[in-house]
Amino acid sequence: MGNGNRLRQWVMAYSFITPALIITLGVVAYPILNIVMESFKTEDGYGFDHYVYLFTNPIALDNLFYTLYIVIVTVVVAVLAGYGLALFLRFSNSFASKTIGLLYLIPRFIPGLVAVNAMITVIRDSGLINRVSLALFGYDFKPGLMFNEYGIIMMNLWFNIPFATMLILAGLSNIPDSMIESARDVGASRWVLFTKLILPLTMKDSMIAATFIFMTNVGSFTTPYLMGATSPQMIGVSLFVQFNNLNYGYVAALSVVMFLLCAVSAAVYIYTNMRDKAWEKQE
Amino acid sequence: MSIRKAFLLLVAGLLFAGTVLAACGNRSGSGGEGGKKKTVTLWAQGSDNVRVMFEKQIENFNKTNKEGYQVKLEFIVTGTGAQSLPDRITAAKKAGQKNTDFDIIEMQGDEVLRYIEAAGEDLFIPIDRSKIPNYSKVKFPATFRDDLVVPYRGTTVTLAYNSETVPNPPKTTEELYQWIKDHPGRFAYNTPGSGGAGGSFVLTSVYNFLPEEAMTSSDPKWKEQWTQGFDLMRELHPYMYKSGGRVVYPNKNQGAIDLLAGKEVDMIPAWADMIISQVRQGAIPSSIKLTQIQPSFTGNTVVLGIPSIGSNPEGAYAFINYMLSPEAQNLALDEMAAIPVIDFAELDPNLTSIISDLKIDKFRVISIGTLQPELYSKWDEEIGTLK
Repeated sequence: MGNGNRLRQWVMAYSFITPALIITLGVVAYPILNIVMESFKTEDGYGFDHYVYLFTNPIALDNLFYTLYIVIVTVVVAVLAGYGLALFLRFSNSFASKTIGLLYLIPRFIPGLVAVNAMITVIRDSGLINRVSLALFGYDFKPGLMFNEYGIIMMNLWFNIPFATMLILAGLSNIPDSMIESARDVGASRWVLFTKLILPLTMKDSMIAATFIFMTNVGSFTTPYLMGATSPQMIGVSLFVQFNNLNYGYVAALSVVMFLLCAVSAAVYIYTNMRDKAWEKQE
Repeated sequence: MSIRKAFLLLVAGLLFAGTVLAACGNRSGSGGEGGKKKTVTLWAQGSDNVRVMFEKQIENFNKTNKEGYQVKLEFIVTGTGAQSLPDRITAAKKAGQKNTDFDIIEMQGDEVLRYIEAAGEDLFIPIDRSKIPNYSKVKFPATFRDDLVVPYRGTTVTLAYNSETVPNPPKTTEELYQWIKDHPGRFAYNTPGSGGAGGSFVLTSVYNFLPEEAMTSSDPKWKEQWTQGFDLMRELHPYMYKSGGRVVYPNKNQGAIDLLAGKEVDMIPAWADMIISQVRQGAIPSSIKLTQIQPSFTGNTVVLGIPSIGSNPEGAYAFINYMLSPEAQNLALDEMAAIPVIDFAELDPNLTSIISDLKIDKFRVISIGTLQPELYSKWDEEIGTLK
């Protein structure tokens, strides 16, 4: 009893965590520190040269803003579309909604490269759409969706709308039917139901979806590499190109910036979460 | 109770220790156990068709060789920072490691020079041709350091064009540049960093203005003379393939080939073996043909070398000898339209007809060391960013 037991429990607890901690430190923390150190290495010693270049060179800035533009559009459209689809799947009992409910997760199971190549075959200027229009209407319609942001955003949405739908649907399913029915019983209109009941309860899941979609798309490579323009290019492609040009310091700095962008999005998520808690407390 | 707990803790500890040791023990370059003398590890890199070809060669060799050697392939795909292989070997040599599993290294053109620069003249065993009976059949010398490496295939970039829309392809670079201007949007080349075909176009555009000696020099002084080539590429930029109103340089050798196959462009620089194999597979239309211009695009021999820090030089010699046999040369020709290095008379005539269009007497070699990534970097900054 007493102190001996407590000490033993403490030792046991920490001895279980230690292996995992060591592995995490070795595999995650050490390489991150390494990259941060590398990003400060310049031709003569250490300095902020790479970061200055990243934020003042017009082309590097162009790429950064281009990436943010594509990712933000992806996040907004994916979450909005996902929300709409989730609402439809949750509250509609039609045959259509049941079928879609079975099918909508399929894009998640298709390997990324396969999906990108399939999309390219359809939308490229010599692809399926062009050939069908030539065959049916005799008109050489070039969609002009390749090698620019439109194709990339389309591809991103193909991957991310099912994901957003899945997360938001989970949140919506947590709202019991009884709650909805009782609100309707006291005369709440559909709009009030949505804004005052459903939306606040699913805000957290929407924010999770937005954060995840932001973080996974900031560094995306396959889609912009195969479907994007040479310039401006997304920073994931930039990273790859500069790495092959042996500019390791610049690549390290770019990686750190990507990491910080994701950290900002995570911070936004945490802030919104904490605000939610305050609201819940007041009720 | 406490005995059970102690036992569980012990098992957990052993499992943990076992996983850690297993992870550490799997590193390549660590010593091997008995039976390893028959294993030969081949390190190679390139596009996927090279990998497939090697796998078939290795399967064949492992089955038929009398000494019972087993070759294993370690393959690195192009564009995945292949610098790591020279770095690893150099590190192993500098650390004084012996008997590593770097038994045979495949190298393109002038890579052997960079290996030696980094790891020392004694990195490779001087080739003892008496151990390679098939060497007598070899027609092309290795383009660099013939004493240290053995060529097993040749490769070259050529001009690929759609014979239906281009009845008379250009024969010189001047004609090519004029053709590009006369047919805006019908020519494309891939970004130099993502594939050697576009890389060759960029390199020759710059180095065609320089004296021949510059093509094998890594002296930084030649950088000052790059401006003419870059001005030429800037001048040609508006006439390149466009999509959605903007000029596009596709990524990867295959990106440009896809444009040609889809008839979005009529002419591209391309690796001869990629075009020939894909036409044979039916992946691209047979109207796609090859031609060479003067001065030609670059090419080189691809060679095999035996590092002195390897553990099986005898096995390495056996495999290299096999690669020079008519059987292996036919297989490489069939599998990836690789240009054979032995006398064509020894080969299957059905197969040599595949490359009969290519008149190869010698390869136009370029070897500029670290100037190459610098040139590509400059292209990325100055040409890749043009609107």
